[in-house]
Parts: sequence; C-alpha cells; structure tokens
Amino acid sequence: MGAGATWPGELALRFNPDILSDFTAGQEVIVLVAGTNGKTTTSKMMREIMEGNGRKVIHNDSGANLVNGLVSAYIKSSNLLGNTRSKYSVFEVDENAFPNVISKVKNQKSKVQIKNQKLIIILLNLFRDQLDRYGEVDSIARKWKESLKQLKSDDLAILNADDPQIAAIGKELQSNVLYFGVDDQKEFLKHNEHATDSTFCPNCGYKLYYEGRYFSHIGIWKCVNCGLGRPEITSVSASSPLPGLYNRYNTFAAYLATKNLGIDEKDIKDILDKFQPAFGRQEEFDVDGKKMKIFLAKNPAGFNANLKTIIDLKAKSILLVLNDRIPDGHDISWIWDVDFETLQPEVNITVSGDRAWDMGLRIKYADLNQNAKIKMPSKISDEILQDKQNDNSKVKIYEELKQAITKALDGLKSGETLYILPTYSAMLDVRKILTGRKIL
Amino acid sequence: MKTQRFKDSKLQRNNKDLQLTIGWLYPELMSTYGDRGNVICLTKRCQWRGVEVKVERIEFETKDEILKSCDLILGGGAQDRQQTLVINDLKKNKGKAMKEMFERGVPGLFVCGSPQLLGHYYMTGDGEKLDGLGIFDFVTKHFGHDKPRCIGNTVGLLNLELETKNQGQRKTIVGFENHGGRTYLGKVQPFAKVMKGNGNNGEDGTEGAIFNNVIACYFHGPLLPKNPHVADWLITKSLQVKYKTEIRLTELDDTLEWQAHNFLLKRAGVI
Repeated sequence: MGAGATWPGELALRFNPDILSDFTAGQEVIVLVAGTNGKTTTSKMMREIMEGNGRKVIHNDSGANLVNGLVSAYIKSSNLLGNTRSKYSVFEVDENAFPNVISKVKNQKSKVQIKNQKLIIILLNLFRDQLDRYGEVDSIARKWKESLKQLKSDDLAILNADDPQIAAIGKELQSNVLYFGVDDQKEFLKHNEHATDSTFCPNCGYKLYYEGRYFSHIGIWKCVNCGLGRPEITSVSASSPLPGLYNRYNTFAAYLATKNLGIDEKDIKDILDKFQPAFGRQEEFDVDGKKMKIFLAKNPAGFNANLKTIIDLKAKSILLVLNDRIPDGHDISWIWDVDFETLQPEVNITVSGDRAWDMGLRIKYADLNQNAKIKMPSKISDEILQDKQNDNSKVKIYEELKQAITKALDGLKSGETLYILPTYSAMLDVRKILTGRKIL
Repeated sequence: MKTQRFKDSKLQRNNKDLQLTIGWLYPELMSTYGDRGNVICLTKRCQWRGVEVKVERIEFETKDEILKSCDLILGGGAQDRQQTLVINDLKKNKGKAMKEMFERGVPGLFVCGSPQLLGHYYMTGDGEKLDGLGIFDFVTKHFGHDKPRCIGNTVGLLNLELETKNQGQRKTIVGFENHGGRTYLGKVQPFAKVMKGNGNNGEDGTEGAIFNNVIACYFHGPLLPKNPHVADWLITKSLQVKYKTEIRLTELDDTLEWQAHNFLLKRAGVI
C-alpha cells in the first residue's frame, strides 16, 4: 500500500481524532463495504454506477481501507475550507477497522449534520485471512454484530445470505435488511474444499447442513438443531460482468445498494456491462501479443475461488507469487489449505516471491505430475539446473520476481495467457514491474 | 521406548511391504492454520516410498476400534469454540484409548493448541480452570489479553535423537508460532530448545514437550513439510511400533525441503 494513500489522514487524525465523524456528518449517502474478499471490486462497482448516474463519489480506490485511508480520501476531495466536493461516500473498510468506523459514523457531533443521511452497510463474507494479525473469524463476527447494534431503523444493511455468520447478524439489527445470495444448483461443489470456516451454526454451535456449497462455507445452509437457516433473498436480475462465482455476489450487493438509492435498473445494468476490474483483480496486461491476467489471491477461500475460475478458463500457465510482508500476513501456513490438487497435471507452474521455497514445496506435495521433478535455480548461477532428466518439469522456482515473470512469459505462445496469482504485496510488486506503478 | 530388532529382515530393506494408518483428529474442528499440511506431507512421503497409507478421520462418532487401528495420531489447532467441543469429546470418549496407545509407544504429533488438550489443565484469561487429558506433565496458563500473544517465525534445536540415518543429522526445526497461553513443563522433556521465538512461555527457553513418541508443540500448522527429518522420524517410529522391527526408510530427494528450511534459518540469523 503506498504511503501516499494514508499519510494525509494519519496527520489529520493526530490533530483531530474525530475528524472522520466530522467528514461523514456532511454526507448525504455513506456506503461501507466490508468482508474478507470482494470489497475492492464491490465498492468500485458502486462508485461507477453512482458516477454514471451523475453523482460524484468520494472513494478510497487505492485500497487504503483503515481509518487513515478513509480520512485521506476525504482530504483529497476537499477544498481549502475543508468542505468536501461531494456528498456521496463509498468506502471499502478493513475487517478489524470496521467497528471503529461504524462508531465514528454513528456518533457525529458536528453542527452541519445532514438530516435524513442514508447509511448503507454491505457485508460480503468472512473467511480466514491474515490470522497472525487479526485473531479469529469468530471474534471478528462477534465484534461486527456488536457494532452494528448502533444502526437505526432508516439505515440499511445488505447481507450475504449464503454466509451463515453474515446472515445471522441480520436478525439482531434495528435497521432495514436486504439479503443477497446465489440460487444456482449447477454451481454446487462436487467435493467440499478443505478451507472451510464456519460450518457450525452461529446460533447454537451445531454442525450445519448444506443443500449445496458454492465455495468454502458459502452455500445453501440450514441448522437442523435450532432451525436457523439461510434467509430469503432479494432476487437480482443483473448478471456479473466478470468471471468467477464470487463476482456474482459482488454484483448482487452493488446492485441492491444502488437500486435502493433510486438508480434505475436499466442504468445499473448498462454501467455494469462496461465494468473494468479494479487493480490486481482480474486485471489484464498485454506484452508482445501475450496476455497476463492478475488474480489477487490473499487467503485460502479467495485462492480456491480463483483456482476454480482459472481452471474453468483452461489455464495452461500460472505464476504463483507468495510474499509474507505486513499486508500479506507473516504466517504463510494457509497455503496448505488451498486445493492445488485440483490443478491439471499439464499446467505449467512458475513460483516466486519472498517465500518461493514454501510455495514450491506446497506444489511439490500436491504431486500433480508424479514423474516430474521440480526445477530450481542452483545457488551459483541463477539458471535452472541443467539436468536432462528434469526436462519434463512443470514447476519452476525463481526467487527473483522479474526473472520469474520473464521466464514464465518465455514459455508462452502468442495469444496465450499467463495467470498470475499473487498475495497483496506481491500483486503490487507485479504491477510495479508491468506498469511502473504499484497501484493506480 | 525399546523396539525389538531383527537385523537384515525383509521389512528393513523393502518399504513396499509396509502399511501405515494415520488417525487425523477432528479434521473439520482442528484445522485452523493449514494443519492439513502435516497429513499431506506424511501421506506423500510414505507413498513416494511405496508405503501404503490410509487416513482415518477421527470424528465425534468414530468408534474406539477405529482409533486403536491407527499407527500415528495427528492433532491440529482449533478456534476457541471448537476446542471446547473437542476436549469434551476426548474426555468423555476417546481420551482413555488414546492415552493407552501413547503409553504403548504409538507416535503422535500435536501442533498449535494442543498443550491445552494434553496437559493437566489450562487456566483461561478469566481464571477458569479447564481440565486436560493429563497425558503430559505440564500446565498452561493464559494471563489475559493484556499480555501479548507469542507470534512469529520460530527456530528450535531438537531435543530428540533422530534415529533414522537419512536426514543428514539435522538438529534444527523451523516453523511459526501464534499462541496466547503459556505452558510450564513438569517432569517431561522439552521437544526443542528455542533459538528464535518464544516457545512454551518466553521465559525458560523450552519449546513443546515429548512423551514416549508423542510430540506436542507450539509450532502450528504445516510443521512437517519444512522439517522432513521430523516427518521421517514419525513415520519410522510408527512403523517400528507397528511391525516390531527396525525400519530403514528409502531416501528421498529433499533438496527443496531443506531450501525452505534453510531460508528460515538464514532469516532468523541462525546460519
């Protein structure tokens, strides 16, 4: 994350810790999007629909989603008197910062407070992510539920009905609640993925029954013990502009929110049809007639969803980049929860990043191509070990990212696509190499 | 634990006649940090040598006969709510059979939250005392959320005679720890000496514990892939106890495993 996206906010917060309350007090519409996966894409969809409808939006499009990032976005769109140039805010909010942001928005002391302010909360999902920083999924869900008790009857919560822990929050709220979900039996998983989080009833702790799962713990669920079940969803006629089942959830959430703001159904669909992905989220690059597509993959659930999508897209070459810096989480144990075993043995795999050896090891134990050995550069030169027997190798490891990208592209024919699956800081590094810029 | 030795037996030379059953404790409940990596690692390292592997998932409803048919027991980390469910089931049902197995020499690997399960008791941050299985002579205390958690990459020096010959005599162990509780050992050997990180309590330099052939440690998640010597020690011990004979495992090419291992040693400044 570029420091430029947060330092103005950081500085302003030192002078006025309540500055976020003061900024939000002047807003007519505030939309907060939270969830482990999909917040950047969903908030970008919302912003484009609203701006396409003539409403300029204040938005943290750089992905700086802590309080200082939100304040920075307001400062960037303010004039010298500190008045914002727009009355509409759409923010993606970090899972752990979310309760604090809610408190700031709900406790506005400013005199310029707008009457009939509209607050919309979108909760997408909750998966394991960066556990060494954040503690456990259960405790985040508990904190969210607690903070959302501050919502009033004219606020709106838009919740994922297919994520049991998110859906269960709805029952506790004073506000209006809309649920989105997917009804598509042919997308049910044939075998459960390993990376599952809340397979237990959020109400009574009993093991949940699934009529079908879409990915991880997302699906059509119910508790046979206490009767809690997937709430009734509001059906959405818009279709997702991007591949991947998870993008349907993002689309449905953005659709319900913008429709609630009074935007015409046809306008929403027209704008969504032209939607271009956010940076690092299925973003595409062309190099000499070869394509590269980046799928940010920062946790097991997101990784599995991305693997499923690229397998459906018949990927032949992939590049996995695993870093373990602060935005990625220092603990890389989670790669063992990703189902690399689902990849076809013919896929060419290149591995890089700070923890290239660990990712290489994970692929080795996925044992995709049982006759092939894994190639890696020798310590002396950076070239691949020249072992004739290893020529059928499908996995190559390069610690140096630039070299990994170059080598992976070399193996591609014109018109073919290299699918890059990086962690967060690795995604920024990849973009830096490809575009010269980390973010936008 | 002494095993009978039959030198030059057929089993000693040919891994292909061997079979190993791994008991995986509560795979859905105790699987927080990529713990599955240990099951995958042991399975593949057996299969690559021609040792046949069966993985038994030990769930609430699993009968004692199934548990007792296992040659090696694996336990992973759980979130608080799941941990309570597990300990209740162990105390009520499977704990007794498991204790007998461990006393007989059946190996086990317990990572992450296991000290809370296997010791005498676990004192929560609120001062509540939860009884464990008492298999290991140690106690665990949580000093409340004001005391920082022990988090980070960890390096240890093994306190374990690695009897198999094919690991190049490696003595280090690398992994990641993330725990709020602190464990204090009684009359039980530590699993390793801390070289980098916190270990059991951040005070006495011990990491984990070893009782007979059972390892309990704060290294969490996928410990074995980067520590193939420990993986092979577990496999060897399991087969020796099962077949009551000396076992020599076929050598594997572990270049990549040691690359990943050495990377963390270097980063920790140990080499």
